[in-house]
Amino acid sequence: MIGCYDFCGHYEWTFGWMERVGGHALVRDYWNEAINHDAQRHARGLIEREGIPGMLKYWGHTLAEESPSLGFAISHREDVFRIDFHDCPSRGFLLRNGLKNYRDYCDHCMGWTGPMLRESGYVIDHEHNHRGQCWWEMRPAAATGGHAPPGSVAGKKDVRLRPEWQDPRAKFDRYVKATDPDAKQL
Amino acid sequence: MSAQPTGELPYVDTKPQGSADFYFATNATFRFILQRLGRAGWVSYLEELGRAYFAPVNDRWRAGGLPAVARYWRAFFAAEPGAKVEVAETPDRVEVVVHGCPAIKHLRAGGREIVREYCQHCYFLGNARAEAAGLTMRLAGGNGSCRHTFAVATGSTTPQDINQIKEAGL
Repeated sequence: MIGCYDFCGHYEWTFGWMERVGGHALVRDYWNEAINHDAQRHARGLIEREGIPGMLKYWGHTLAEESPSLGFAISHREDVFRIDFHDCPSRGFLLRNGLKNYRDYCDHCMGWTGPMLRESGYVIDHEHNHRGQCWWEMRPAAATGGHAPPGSVAGKKDVRLRPEWQDPRAKFDRYVKATDPDAKQL
Repeated sequence: MSAQPTGELPYVDTKPQGSADFYFATNATFRFILQRLGRAGWVSYLEELGRAYFAPVNDRWRAGGLPAVARYWRAFFAAEPGAKVEVAETPDRVEVVVHGCPAIKHLRAGGREIVREYCQHCYFLGNARAEAAGLTMRLAGGNGSCRHTFAVATGSTTPQDINQIKEAGL
């Protein structure tokens, strides 16, 4: 049986298998069709109906379940929903267990949330360091401007204030007002 | 099952049980692969997953034999929320008796359309893993309750009858 306890492990393995079988296009379609439109349809429905309050309901519940030790922080205002991951439960599982079958696991988050947010009229500012730390800001698509300065939305909970964020060995992927997993700025 | 996960599991998380909503993703993954790559592609996915991702388990089964198989399944189901499972060990086989499948239970509770082939995945995945360890695996039942039988491969094991595996549904 495929279990849920080690889900992130076989999920990551699946990305690599799909890319070998059907190339990058199949992986992108998988994130959008299977995860966004099928598995996470409860998230889509909430966010389409309720916007930022729906994001709070979805991520508030799912992250508390995936990360009982609360390795994340949620901040929200009327115009922005933000998550700071200080210890991503998903990436952390892979790092702790030495698992890597796909070239960049972190792409999957933008792979399904990007299209989901686009369909609900939002865009995403996002950065991750591939070490289990990242931040997300989701705003209405008409919002202007680039990345908000560190601390301006999340205060002291902003992951960019961590010393590890400044580690010169960290490799960052950066997205600006994006909804496409391939729109990263390296 | 009440025991906590132990070192029998090859990949270990910081929490004692997984998040049941991930069963939604497994069901959706099966639907996607079946639609895009057909049944042969889906079977190939499961068999390759069984041989590659689960290689550390298969190696332990090969080294430790049926007692290692029994220990693994006890630890596995202890980490799956809502599982009602007994693992019985005899000299020539291990029977994993699933009284309440945690995945089918959660998919039903979530009102998800369950891929009708869902229960077959346990056979294609499980037998690939068993064969890598010099064992066989057979499955009877399905759709919420079933029996997995692991035995030493002797060449005389009756082939799996796929029709013995029930289609899954609400």
